[in-house]
Amino acid sequence: MTTPTTTHTPPPPEASASAPTAVTPPPQSGNPWRPTFHGVSLMTRIELRRRRPTTKGYVFYGILFGLVIAICVAAAVFAPAQLSSTNFEIVLIMVLGVGMLIAPSLSATSINGDSSEGVLAPLQMSHLTAGDIAVGKLLASWTVSVIALVAVSPFLIYTFVSSGWTVLEMLTTVGAILLVVMAFTAVGLAWSSIAARAVASVALAHLTTGFFLIGTLIVFGVAGLLVTEESSQRDHYIDWNALSPEAESALDNAYMTGDYTNLNIDDYSCLESEWAYTVTHTERVSWIVLMNPAVMIIETAPIVDPETWEEDGRAAPGAFAMLHSALSEARMGPDNDINQYQAYDECAELATMIDNNVASDEDLEAQWEAQNSAWEQRQQELANLERAPWIGLGVSGALLVGSMWIVIRRLRVPYKTLRTGTRVA
Amino acid sequence: MTATAQAPAPVREAIVANGVARSFGSVRAVQDATLTVPAGSVTALIGPNGCGKTTLMLMLSGLLRPDTGTITVAGHNPSTDAAAVRAAIGWMPDQLGSWDNLTCLQTLTLMGEAYRIPRATARERGLDLLERVHLIEFANRPARVLSRGQKQRLSLARALVHDPQVLLLDEPANGLDPRSRIELRTLVREFAAEGRAVLVSSHVLAELDEMVDDAIFMSQGRTLGDDAAAMVADAKTRYLVHALDPAALQAALTGADVPFEAAGEGVIMRFVDEQRAAEALTWLVQQGVRIHRFGPAGSALEQTYMAMNEERR
Repeated sequence: MTTPTTTHTPPPPEASASAPTAVTPPPQSGNPWRPTFHGVSLMTRIELRRRRPTTKGYVFYGILFGLVIAICVAAAVFAPAQLSSTNFEIVLIMVLGVGMLIAPSLSATSINGDSSEGVLAPLQMSHLTAGDIAVGKLLASWTVSVIALVAVSPFLIYTFVSSGWTVLEMLTTVGAILLVVMAFTAVGLAWSSIAARAVASVALAHLTTGFFLIGTLIVFGVAGLLVTEESSQRDHYIDWNALSPEAESALDNAYMTGDYTNLNIDDYSCLESEWAYTVTHTERVSWIVLMNPAVMIIETAPIVDPETWEEDGRAAPGAFAMLHSALSEARMGPDNDINQYQAYDECAELATMIDNNVASDEDLEAQWEAQNSAWEQRQQELANLERAPWIGLGVSGALLVGSMWIVIRRLRVPYKTLRTGTRVA
Repeated sequence: MTATAQAPAPVREAIVANGVARSFGSVRAVQDATLTVPAGSVTALIGPNGCGKTTLMLMLSGLLRPDTGTITVAGHNPSTDAAAVRAAIGWMPDQLGSWDNLTCLQTLTLMGEAYRIPRATARERGLDLLERVHLIEFANRPARVLSRGQKQRLSLARALVHDPQVLLLDEPANGLDPRSRIELRTLVREFAAEGRAVLVSSHVLAELDEMVDDAIFMSQGRTLGDDAAAMVADAKTRYLVHALDPAALQAALTGADVPFEAAGEGVIMRFVDEQRAAEALTWLVQQGVRIHRFGPAGSALEQTYMAMNEERR
């Protein structure tokens, strides 16, 4: 609908009379919104310059950085020289937590704050597009968060050295953390483009972060109730209260000696006890917990085999490996079916023993052995289950793209609607 | 739109608005605004607080979409070609905003870059503009040290970085000291002389009197077209005359059957032009009336504004 722009008038020569420097900004047409390289880099530059710390700020960062290095040195002196990944994992989670706290705080006042300061509209009037302003602000806030994270980098590097992770694995996980931080920076921006007041947008941004970090765990727990199957089971027990004193002492005696042959099964009446046996099909709701960004970070960590970690040159399974197993358990679901439950029947057991079918020690041992190896196999399977960061990565990606879409829409002028209770500017 | 393609020369009618309206929810901020601002002239937008001046300016600047009505700025339509409209406009908002951590020169340079002016040129231009608004000694000081009036001048410089054809100045005289006001007046006249169209909103009506070529009055979201213009024209014919002996003055006028209204110590007379005023003064002096004051009866805009009292709650 727009005609090609031939309408730009060349600057009249007399314009230079009072302002000697003639400027010829390129003509514009239509109403572009896409981010451009020039616009995004300029906007990022403006934002970073505006947020440049004062001398006090540099001193504060310097002291923080010095403290971190001092702690690292102390740790290096006193820590045992064996591989351990848990320290590194704690640092990673700390980095994620700090990032997710700082990033939305920085970005959540970026748009409504500028608007109430009156510095947003002049930029919207310029040749910067909505995309330029949005992406520039995203990159600037994200960069500031990343710089704050650099303060803990000595920790990260020091603990990494003894973690048994490869450099590539470390970079993958750190990359995932930076993606999460960027996604929640974008969430903060989106709230600041929606809410009129800075207090509201900061609170909403932190609530969103809280929902994904803690809320997903709660929802997962509640959803677990919905996928719990129940079946009533009947166990049978000897009714001790109804036993004659002779029968009772005979049974006691038999337990002591292991000789059941003198007992008469008819002396022992049976009690029936009914109870609800439940199986929770966590595999149907595990996607909820996998949306959690912290879980996603854990799932990007390398798999540590509980049998072969030493030959693999890894540290013993640490916090992430344990959590990975727990998550795998949730993803695979219960290993026994609701109908597989074998009811316990003390009376029947007594009857077989009276028939002199007492299990030998060897039999018991073999039975225990079989159970144990099944358990070990299960643990092995859980620890080695393929990693599942994809849902979490998808959520981060969707938050990033969705938030930026909102921000760009809200920044486009001419405005159709305004944030309630605000003025333009 | 096609007409402008054949006319690369500066557009005569820099701003044309017709029947523009805009509501915010149930509040009808602008109900019916019609105005024309020719290039190379200064037009005042006058009205009481909350009459819709700023909303109208936002719509003209392409920041706010009108509900109804048409707007053309520098030959472009903001609803289809908003970027071209914004590029043609230098907008000085009523809200003072500055990047507190950046120096005045950095502010103007970055703003110039935002208009895709090369950095070195933008910097040169920034220095020129700082010189022009008398902030050159603050070029390398952060904007947070500026006083309100100085920020106002920085904001004016910022509106000029891209050499716009149209200037929208929303309350530019707010917070300026008397000297700065006079300088602003000179500057605004210069802008018009450079061929720019200037639309100024202000409360300081006496200030506007000497600055503007035309005035548009707004009341309750409507522009008052011909009525207000007639009132301004009428107000311009009124002269206030003071004599040492008021009775003698009134007697002379009554004797010659000249219409007048008494106004305190003096009288108000009407003259269609300056020629007639000069003749009347000569005649009064010849009659032996000792005139000690003879001049326009206050600001024409102020008189119109006061006459247009309908908005008072």
